Amino acid sequence: MNQFNTFLASFKNLTTAGYLFYGLGLITLISAISVVTAKNPIHSVLALIFTFFCLTGHYMLLNAQFLAIVNIIVYAGAIMVLFLFAIMFLNLKEEDEEAKTNVTKMAAVIVGGVLMVLLLSIFNYAPVGTYNPASFDAKTGLVERLGIVLYSDYILPFELASILFLVAMVGAVMLGKREAGDPHF
Amino acid sequence: MTFQTYDCLQMLPIILLSLSGIALLFLGFQKSRALLLPATLLFLVIAFVANFLDWGKTYMYFRDMLLVNNLAMIFTGVVLLSTFMVVSLSGSLADDEDAQPAEYYAILLFSLVGAIMMIGFENLIMLFVGVEILSVAMYILTGSDKRNLRSNEAALKYFLMGAFATGILLFGIALLYGATGSFVLSGIGNYAHSATNAGGSMLLFYVGMFMLLIGMLFKVSAAPFHFWTPDVYDGAPSLFTAYMSTVVKTAGFAALLRILSVSFSGVYDFWWVAMAVVTVLTLLIGNITAVYQASFKRMMAYSSISHAGYLLIGLVGLSQASKPAIAFYSLAYSLSTIAAFGVLMLVARNRPLNAAVFGDQTTLARTDEHYDAFNGLARKNPLLGFVMAVSMLSLAGIPLTAGFWGKFMVFSAAADRGAVWLLVVAVLMSAVGIYYYFRVVIAMYFREGQTDTIRVAPFYRIVLIAATVLTLALGLLPNLFQGLI
Repeated sequence: MNQFNTFLASFKNLTTAGYLFYGLGLITLISAISVVTAKNPIHSVLALIFTFFCLTGHYMLLNAQFLAIVNIIVYAGAIMVLFLFAIMFLNLKEEDEEAKTNVTKMAAVIVGGVLMVLLLSIFNYAPVGTYNPASFDAKTGLVERLGIVLYSDYILPFELASILFLVAMVGAVMLGKREAGDPHF
Repeated sequence: MTFQTYDCLQMLPIILLSLSGIALLFLGFQKSRALLLPATLLFLVIAFVANFLDWGKTYMYFRDMLLVNNLAMIFTGVVLLSTFMVVSLSGSLADDEDAQPAEYYAILLFSLVGAIMMIGFENLIMLFVGVEILSVAMYILTGSDKRNLRSNEAALKYFLMGAFATGILLFGIALLYGATGSFVLSGIGNYAHSATNAGGSMLLFYVGMFMLLIGMLFKVSAAPFHFWTPDVYDGAPSLFTAYMSTVVKTAGFAALLRILSVSFSGVYDFWWVAMAVVTVLTLLIGNITAVYQASFKRMMAYSSISHAGYLLIGLVGLSQASKPAIAFYSLAYSLSTIAAFGVLMLVARNRPLNAAVFGDQTTLARTDEHYDAFNGLARKNPLLGFVMAVSMLSLAGIPLTAGFWGKFMVFSAAADRGAVWLLVVAVLMSAVGIYYYFRVVIAMYFREGQTDTIRVAPFYRIVLIAATVLTLALGLLPNLFQGLI
């Protein structure tokens, strides 16, 4: 009971950002869990989109506006549309569900549970850095700063990432190109 | 050591390889494919020469992004030499209707950019981008035999598992950044040294370190992260299997060596037990499973796992001596593996599978890659038999071949650290290795078979002979190479 009171007291002392964070965190967790538990794959994808929007909110709270916008454009936008397309093409039926045996499920639960306990205990004990609000630079995480860093300190990996995309594009075209004799779609 | 910072165009190999990859894509527009192979080989030679221009100097490029020193140049040299040999064995692609050589060569050259980034990275971002370039290129090349279901399956498996491993690697990098506040290897190393001395909690650092190591160990196919290896190496076209098991492995171990020696040497006492366990598992699983394989190509996949185990011994015995040891081992292993795959491709090409016996050809491998294919090979083709025999001896670690000195140097690096029990396991497993490597030699020299004389293109022949001569030369005079470092 005593612990509960201290918990309540600490809850009352939260700032607005604190309330926002915990509220958003709760919604994020619920929607993330429903991604896994939803029976219908379409509902699962919709829950995933909602999770991405919640994560965008977290980025906003962390003063990372650029990351927040990119998260919406890339993840909630492009990638999730791809996901929806793929699921509609596959036309999943409920009978495919019984592919996993109980042993696999048990093993997955044990491995996942051990990892969760490990990570939780580690994050509980590990020292986490803090920042000083008085000396915090409000421009951290904005596009301007990001651009300066990308084009000065990180110019080399930034440019070489283009090689990565080029390889992926060449490969996609090469593998996806219709050969003579392949069926038409 | 003094670092000079040159933010100018001196990292020639990366720039040259990127540009020549693009040039190759344009060469692919031509009707004739005759120009592609010589052009690729020319680009590789130019990059090889450019790589050694800065010999003896140490540079740090682009604000602590890329380090170029003698060790990095040697690893880059090994990778470029391996690629040169693999590419020169690809002459038959020009006649293959289904193949797209221009794209293959371009992707190979691009993937070398990733390999060089992994060899010389000083910033973890560079490691990540390098690993991704190399991996994505490999996913594509694994699936490049589009009509072959096994190739498709291998590519999909490799892609899914590799993507998860990359996710773990990235998670590790994020946690390391959270713990140390730095992406730079030396910055992380300084944190490890000072935090160990201060006695504070380093849990976040340790978790990040192990996640990063798991991601990298997956890429070099160390047990228990090796499950993708046999299927992928077996399903991929032999040419790209040779590339994967040499270049990707060399680059992966160069990266592991770099991060362990620069960043994590301060916490050696913490990670060496885990690495020793991984090493023993890799040696046991790789060698013992290889004994039971009926297919030569699948045996080579398990053999590459077991060689990852020997290379890991050099990492467990981390010292100044393990740097040249791992470089030498990579070179010896690459030479003999490429020679072995070169002979395998010739032998398998002459033995298309009988569709009536093996069912629809498109659903199975198109060629026979079993041990039986080598029966009586040495009678009609003494050269191929000799090349194969030398490369098997070298892989098994028999004296007078490069493989022996590779093992010797790696083992002595570990012996200096006092890991004697690890060496006992390794020597026992090398003895097991002799069994399955000699199966091929016995099949070639002592079994009866109806192999015809196999026609070998002149250039192909030269490359096979060069690999064999180099293997023997390094076996007789290992100081030739050691003196370089």
